[in-house]
Amino acid sequence: MRTLAVLLLASTTLAAQQPTPAPAPARDLGGVWMMRNPPGSNRGWTSFTFTDPKLEPPALTAWGEARFKAARDSNGGTYRLDETNDPVLTRCYPPGVPRVYFHPYPFEVVHTPTVTFLMYEYDHMLRRVYIDGRALGPDLDPLWMGHSVGRWDGNDFVVESTGFNDRTWLDRLGHAHSDRLKVTERFRRIDRDHLHLDITMEDPVALAKPWKTTFFYELRPGWELGEISCSGDYLEWSKVEARK
Amino acid sequence: MRTMWCAVAIALGVALSMPLQAHHGGAAYDQTKSVTFEGTVTEMQFANPHVLVYWDVQSGDAAGQKWSGWLTAPNKLARAGWSRKTLNPGDTMTVSGTPHKDGTHVLQIRKLVGPDGADLPLTEN
Repeated sequence: MRTLAVLLLASTTLAAQQPTPAPAPARDLGGVWMMRNPPGSNRGWTSFTFTDPKLEPPALTAWGEARFKAARDSNGGTYRLDETNDPVLTRCYPPGVPRVYFHPYPFEVVHTPTVTFLMYEYDHMLRRVYIDGRALGPDLDPLWMGHSVGRWDGNDFVVESTGFNDRTWLDRLGHAHSDRLKVTERFRRIDRDHLHLDITMEDPVALAKPWKTTFFYELRPGWELGEISCSGDYLEWSKVEARK
Repeated sequence: MRTMWCAVAIALGVALSMPLQAHHGGAAYDQTKSVTFEGTVTEMQFANPHVLVYWDVQSGDAAGQKWSGWLTAPNKLARAGWSRKTLNPGDTMTVSGTPHKDGTHVLQIRKLVGPDGADLPLTEN
């Protein structure tokens, strides 16, 4: 019993020493956010896929499986740049959604009365998330980054996106999607400095069941987004690797 | 300082201590090895997607060889305190990293001790 009391006291003391997180402002995601996995969480795979590829691989359809087998990734460390067929690394295609979150750079949220802008440092990617009440149409022209609408659900910001083309990968390992992809993002600001992003991918052509994950972000008040140009920078990089 | 081709265990320790970075073409580098050089900087290109450093090896078995190595993106290094003048021609440095599999003198840099003897941060916080 004495041991238990000491442990409880130590635990209480430790908790008292932890700074209390500042509360999240209501319905405000404004700022620059950077992916940061919780300490000790061992989630290195978040740099190239959504769930642990060994423990929680996605459920693929036969179509999705065949496309995945044809993929030769580089960011996962499997193929060299002169071997990969990654559409971003070889052609500088826009990364699509939600692959854009794998680029190891921050993104910024800017709210306006009718549109919330999601701005990604990588390749100036910009998503316009309409919050004016419009619905996603049934026959949208396919876009690289899709069409997006958003709404507040309590203090969570929920973004639904459809109208994608089928030329991008879902992740950096080469999981494919079709033009019937639907992505739902739920941004949950846990406190002032921490944001949890729940992502759900649904695609009846590529995925046998929805593929879900949660990514973790921290606010970076002192950061400003810089410039990273895929066509001006990335395509030159293979020459560095290839030179003798 | 001698050029050191370290044992697999040491290199794995280096690799495991680094955050898993989504680099381009990492498959071209031998992640089981680590090599360290003392060199004189000849050029730094503060450019995307990876900052490039060029140097002449000053000592050890590789003395006289020309090498280069790559770091993360300049945006990330700038947020860590770098500028395009952090390394300049003539600066001495000690650099460690993962060598190219085919023997090309290119390094995926894992650690860099700058001219003033202090470790330079290789990513932002």
